[in-house]
Amino acid sequence: MSIPTLQGLQTALSGLLAEQQAMDVTGHNIANANTEGYSRQTAVLQTSHALPIASLSAVTGEGGQLGTGVTVETYTRVRNSYLDAQYRTQNSALSGAGTQSEQLEQVQSAFNEPSETGISGQLSAFWSSWNSLAENPTSEAAKEAVVAAGQRLAGSLNQLSTQLSSISAQVEQQYEARTSPTGEVAEMAKQIAQLNEQIKLAEQARQPPNDLLDRRDLLIDKLSALAQVKVTANPDGTDTVAFGDAAKPLVEGSTVKWPQTLTAAAGGQLGALLALNAPGGALTGFGSELDAVAASLAGSVNALHTSTPFFTGTTAATIAVAVKPAEVQASGSAAPGGNEVALAIADLRGGAAEQGYSSLVEQVGSKVRAAQGEQANMKAAVTAISNQRQSVSGVSLDEEMTNLISFQRGYQASARTLTAMDEMLEQLIEHTGKAGL
Amino acid sequence: MMDRITGSMLTGSTLNDINSALAKMQQTSEEISSGRTILEPSDNPFGASQAIDLQSQLDGLNSYTASVNDGISWTQTASSAMSGIGEALQRVRELLVSAGNGTKNQSDLSNIAHEVSELTESIKQDANVQYAGQYIFSGTLSTTPPYQQGENDEYQGNSGTVSRATGPGATVAVSTDLASVLGNGAAAGDGKTLDVLRTIVKHLNEGTTEGREALTGSDLKELDNNIEGMLTLQATNGSATDQLQSTAARIESLHTSIAGALSNTTSTDVAQATIAYSTEQAAFQAALRSASTIVQESLLNFLK
Repeated sequence: MSIPTLQGLQTALSGLLAEQQAMDVTGHNIANANTEGYSRQTAVLQTSHALPIASLSAVTGEGGQLGTGVTVETYTRVRNSYLDAQYRTQNSALSGAGTQSEQLEQVQSAFNEPSETGISGQLSAFWSSWNSLAENPTSEAAKEAVVAAGQRLAGSLNQLSTQLSSISAQVEQQYEARTSPTGEVAEMAKQIAQLNEQIKLAEQARQPPNDLLDRRDLLIDKLSALAQVKVTANPDGTDTVAFGDAAKPLVEGSTVKWPQTLTAAAGGQLGALLALNAPGGALTGFGSELDAVAASLAGSVNALHTSTPFFTGTTAATIAVAVKPAEVQASGSAAPGGNEVALAIADLRGGAAEQGYSSLVEQVGSKVRAAQGEQANMKAAVTAISNQRQSVSGVSLDEEMTNLISFQRGYQASARTLTAMDEMLEQLIEHTGKAGL
Repeated sequence: MMDRITGSMLTGSTLNDINSALAKMQQTSEEISSGRTILEPSDNPFGASQAIDLQSQLDGLNSYTASVNDGISWTQTASSAMSGIGEALQRVRELLVSAGNGTKNQSDLSNIAHEVSELTESIKQDANVQYAGQYIFSGTLSTTPPYQQGENDEYQGNSGTVSRATGPGATVAVSTDLASVLGNGAAAGDGKTLDVLRTIVKHLNEGTTEGREALTGSDLKELDNNIEGMLTLQATNGSATDQLQSTAARIESLHTSIAGALSNTTSTDVAQATIAYSTEQAAFQAALRSASTIVQESLLNFLK
């Protein structure tokens, strides 16, 4: 029956200390309530080692273990790595769709349709100018109008083609900038590798580095916007990060392997950029369709304008009017008043060139719409996953305040226990053995 | 069902709702203010390409209308020139009849011959009428007058046909082959109008008995033939005018229906859009209200 006299003080003290540490953690949570990538932490409380007492009961000789209070075993962060993986997959898709729709919207506004000033309007005006020439085949003014309408049309085709090329060049530039040895990918990979190293050391010391883990997870989240990532957690605490469809892991332990080759299958922003410019991708597709429109325009007009080719060039970038007003041919014969050629060319309205162009506009519109739709869907998916993550890891101020109150009360109660113990000991020390004094 | 709801979830979703409500309102207000439902091809890809096709058809109809109207003016110019020629021929006929009644002496006949010569010149002048700088009776040699004034009665034009577009692949010939009635004059001896008129003048001036008899005999008969030919030409020209006018009416009604289709595809239904706008506005206000009240609620408000 030997219990150390001061054991009760120790027990009360452990309560005080534990409640204080729990309050510290709550304070840390509250301070980081709005920190990006922060996961809430909790102090894991555990009863401390019990004091074995050999024989409690003088009668039965039965022993027991006396509880000695509480200790903080560790601080854990509340995080679900399964949700992290899901979030990153969806985030890659969202960022890919976003990049795609952003670039395609630029293409769409370059087309400037439907409007009177777009290429469809220019084409229509071009046919109408031939109609006017047919009314007055010998008029110099009508011939000049035909050449001017042709030049405007060719100019618009040239301009649109240039705009498509410059969007394509921009796309390439963006890819290069992000993947260069000093670009975003390399920078983030370097930081992840450094964090891997620090985390490994902390794990070796058996001190879970919660905040470092959060920072690494945040970096990987951001990396997932650029391309698909696949994270493998190693026993030593480091993460091996596979990036896009690169052959080797981007980060393994503390080593970074970059630059590597990616393809359109990499996903994310980089994959989308590569897909846009890939052979058979949206940008190249639109470019060649536009060339087909220009070739069909030049071919059909030149076939009827037999005296001399009206257009030169067979691509959207090179098409130009080759004739002077005086060389414009309205008549199919030597007679100046004939208008067969002008009528035949005016009759090309609604033909292959125009149909090709309007179907191209429809394709552009459909692609943009599809990309926008995908972006909206992915945004909803990412929001849902992100909410689930927040539900697990996010800091709820109401919860923290409740915890704070409960820890504060715990602290107060422990202090009261201490006071009671103190009074008890005072009774023993100050007043015991003074009977009759 | 989420176990825990955290502040950032609330603010995040409230912000999302506000943004999407605002985006919808912006789209609708743009539709109302621009009057168009298709601002970008992506708003309605098929509608956009349809709008392009319809607009081109509409532009086509506008140029057909212009060319049909031009054709009508052309045929009307031809018609008035031919009426002038017809009237001149009638006058020649009257003169011919009066010359043949036997009471006229040679000096009277010479005077009549003089008048017929002048009428011949006026017929050639009528044939040389221009429309928009083009000689309308020269076939496709529209820069050359069909007849020269004076002795030479030879036709200077060709037999080419001038047409006006009236629709996709459809044309109407507006030129009239006046030379088929006027002919190439006495040198050709083709019995056509100019040849007959020259013969009449010759007979009037000669004053021979055969000449006088011919005036009311073969000359009058040939003149009547040519007047008949002239009337046929006028009728043909008139039917071209009719055809063009009915085409103009058809284009007009086609224009109305295509413009209607275009408007259905691209124009905003303002009543509908306005109602949609009010609904979206209500949603937006609700999102704002929830942001201003729910998001502010916190345990902190109740702790002392």
